[in-house]
Amino acid sequence: MTETIKTPKGGSGYAKRILRETFFQLGARLGLYWIILLVLIAVFAPFIANSHPLIISIDGKLQSPALQHLTAADITLLGLFAVSVVMLVVRPRMTATVTLLFGTLVLIGGLSTLLVKPPQLTTYEQYRQQAELNIYDWAVWAPVPYSAKDYLRDSGDTGLEAPLEAGDRTHLFGTDENGADVLSRMVHAARIALGIGFVATGIAMFIGVIIGGLMGYFSGVTDMIGMRLVEIFEAIPTLFLLLTFVAFFGRSLYIMMVIIGITSWSGYARYIRAEFLKLRQQDFVQAAIACGTPLPSILFRHMLPNGIAPVLVGASFGVASAILAEATLSFLGLGLVDDPSWGQMLNQAVRSSTFNWWMAAFPGGAIFLTVFAYNLMGESMRDAIDPYLKKSAS
Amino acid sequence: MSLLLDVDGLKTYLRAGSRIVQAVDDVSFQIKKGETVCLVGESGSGKSVCALSIIRLLPQGIATHPAGGIRFNFRHNEGEIEQVDMLTLQEERLREIRGSRIAMIFQEPMTSLNPVFTIGDQIIEALQLHWPHMSYDDARNRTIEALRQVQIPDAEQRVNEYPHRLSGGQRQRVMIAMAMACEPDLLIADEPTTALDVTVQAEILRLMKELQKNHGTSILFITHDFGVVSQMADQVAVMRRGKIVENGALDQVLHKPEHEYTKQLLAALPENLERDRHAFTIADASILENSGNAASVNSENSTTAGELLLQLRGLQVYFPIRTGVFRHTTGHVKAVDDVDMEIRRGEILALVGESGCGKTTLGRAILNLISPTAGEVAYQGAVINQLSGREFRPFRRQLQIIFQDPMSSLNPRLTVASTLVEPMAVHGIGADKEDRLSRAAAVLESVGLEEEHLWRYPHEFSGGQRQRIGIARALVLEPQFIVCDEVTSALDVSVQAEILKILLELRAQKNLTLLFITHNISVVEFLSDRMAVMREGKVLEFGNTADIGRAPQHEYTQRLLDAVPRVPVN
Repeated sequence: MTETIKTPKGGSGYAKRILRETFFQLGARLGLYWIILLVLIAVFAPFIANSHPLIISIDGKLQSPALQHLTAADITLLGLFAVSVVMLVVRPRMTATVTLLFGTLVLIGGLSTLLVKPPQLTTYEQYRQQAELNIYDWAVWAPVPYSAKDYLRDSGDTGLEAPLEAGDRTHLFGTDENGADVLSRMVHAARIALGIGFVATGIAMFIGVIIGGLMGYFSGVTDMIGMRLVEIFEAIPTLFLLLTFVAFFGRSLYIMMVIIGITSWSGYARYIRAEFLKLRQQDFVQAAIACGTPLPSILFRHMLPNGIAPVLVGASFGVASAILAEATLSFLGLGLVDDPSWGQMLNQAVRSSTFNWWMAAFPGGAIFLTVFAYNLMGESMRDAIDPYLKKSAS
Repeated sequence: MSLLLDVDGLKTYLRAGSRIVQAVDDVSFQIKKGETVCLVGESGSGKSVCALSIIRLLPQGIATHPAGGIRFNFRHNEGEIEQVDMLTLQEERLREIRGSRIAMIFQEPMTSLNPVFTIGDQIIEALQLHWPHMSYDDARNRTIEALRQVQIPDAEQRVNEYPHRLSGGQRQRVMIAMAMACEPDLLIADEPTTALDVTVQAEILRLMKELQKNHGTSILFITHDFGVVSQMADQVAVMRRGKIVENGALDQVLHKPEHEYTKQLLAALPENLERDRHAFTIADASILENSGNAASVNSENSTTAGELLLQLRGLQVYFPIRTGVFRHTTGHVKAVDDVDMEIRRGEILALVGESGCGKTTLGRAILNLISPTAGEVAYQGAVINQLSGREFRPFRRQLQIIFQDPMSSLNPRLTVASTLVEPMAVHGIGADKEDRLSRAAAVLESVGLEEEHLWRYPHEFSGGQRQRIGIARALVLEPQFIVCDEVTSALDVSVQAEILKILLELRAQKNLTLLFITHNISVVEFLSDRMAVMREGKVLEFGNTADIGRAPQHEYTQRLLDAVPRVPVN
């Protein structure tokens, strides 16, 4: 043959096809839109809800207090987002994408931690008072002009106001017990909700798939030792472990993610083990062995895509339950001290003698929608990943 | 003989989503009292749907009968005969007919008995349904009698057994007993012996004929196997795509087929391929000789002179049986038990045996897919079965396997291109991806597929095409030796003929050595140079196929060869 064979465009890539088919379904698309909205809110939180004006003009000179108060985490998120958008346009290879994203994370994260020094002491009321005194020629405020930790000291006692109760200030979702704006706190809490869900489930899936895969493929003694390990980890109560760690190491979001991750992998390991035990006997795996295919390829190219479906469905519930685990901790008062989180806000709904409906409805609704969105996507992905199901449905 | 069933212009349409499939399209045939009509056809020809239409077992929401009539002579318990149309009959009347006048036997004996009732209870229930006045003791005695008739040993005891305690052949006997217990006028048998071994099949067929003679039952026998047809049928109807293309007496259809399709089907039978094969190898050899490659030719006669490629010495594969709380080993299943065998370069060695005889295990043990318990596998003199995975890798290229089930033997997540290219990349065949792709395309063409098929996924292909891809995957590594594990068992006879032809062509072109594992004796006789007969892990007989076919030495081989239903040569 003289002419060379080229991969036809669009026909390549298993993952691409699966994604296309997953989001062909309305439910999954709606779920995806919600998660994308959350991601945007999480990334641009400082520009959506901030007590510092975005731009002010004093005597003709422009300033941006919001930019000045950006933290290292803000800048890292913004940088990652920018790189992701560029890559969506350029579309490099899968490995390049992962390397680039990881590189950006390390680079920007490291640099900004070293270089970005936001003012240690923030006085939220300063700009409001200056605005009232007409010091600025003009000012552009964020859509929600309150920071998450702005307790409105200048306005006296503002704790637990229902939405739009105060005439002079606009709090669309009301205020919490400390007097902070609930909408603002919810916007900033989206970061924790997304982060804890993704990272904790990612860690759990990574460990679960590797251990479960090895158990299922090698079976025998490996399987026996692995299953005992699974049982040991299933016997550890996540909540008590978290409590212990919180007592020793203080309250850290990252420790929470890791602990939720390393205590919840056993379910994924069981799924993958069962699938691999079944797949191992399949002829196409035998054929791959007979072709001398190396072990990583057999495990991750031939077996994993055929056995991942239940794990993905499990993961969609896992993300949801990680969010709920964090909410539970916060609800029990063991979450982050001052940082906003949806669960912590739910806690405040019942804290005082009255039932503060806005503290339950809005954060609760956000948790519900997020959990629901992940479940919708998980279901749809399971259908897309299964060619047999698709064939019989058509 | 009087007419029993008259199917006239029957149409059955099945709804699948928004599509309407004309599963049975204008089918007419008649069954007289006491005769056997065989419906023959390849998979998907509508023969089972036709049978289910007659007994009205198709789901009502899916199946419709826009035209036709099924007139059945319904014999009342008092003896008077009434002609009814099954298509318009009400459900209560249908229930009177089902079981008592028309009984059915299904293909899969493993799933057609209810596992939570004893076989006796299931037959007694059927009896009491149709004769409400029969006492339990009477029904039980009749059940035992029926079981005795189908030659279940110890019928008095076995009547209390649960289905899982019976073998496949015994379950099918129980099914027959259940169907015959009510003494139906018509027995519909839907591929009743397809799932059974050939020796068991022979007994079941003999049994059915005997019962038919005693009771004067008519049988509608559905099968794809012309050998079975020639043993059972009085009348034969050949079906294709929902239509009966030829209908006539057995002798006439087998020996003077009129329709083109019937001729094709008969020509595709391995027995009838024989003559072609000799013509093929001789013609092929002469072509190669002309081009100066005579040395590489292995015609049938020269195989004995071929060098030794593979040698098995005392090969054993035992699976431990573990019992008790501590899972200690209490015994072994001897899947392969002390097998010695020599395979010469360029020959096709057939490994024959019934299910569970260890032939598949033996094939996989040679490729080190299952580790042998003891013994040696020597490939070109080197012992290969004790090598580690890494040391074995070079041999993987030489030794390949093709599997039985074309559905599960291809990774559903990978395109054909990925399936074919990856093994090449592992073994460093081809310079770059482009080169490998063009090699893959060439191999695909050699098995009768096209280049554009590279970019498809397995579920887009038919069973025969998938089997070709399976062959292509084995071939891309340019192996010396291929284990073919029941490669044609799941295929229709015409597709089987094509696959066999491809294998023979490839053998001639590339001087391949094949270990052909099968239970199908006629394929063996067509394809192989030498054959080995296996039973319970041991090789009972080993020799030239022609010699064994002519004069089998071992008593089991004789029984096996006798049991094969053959189409008589005219």
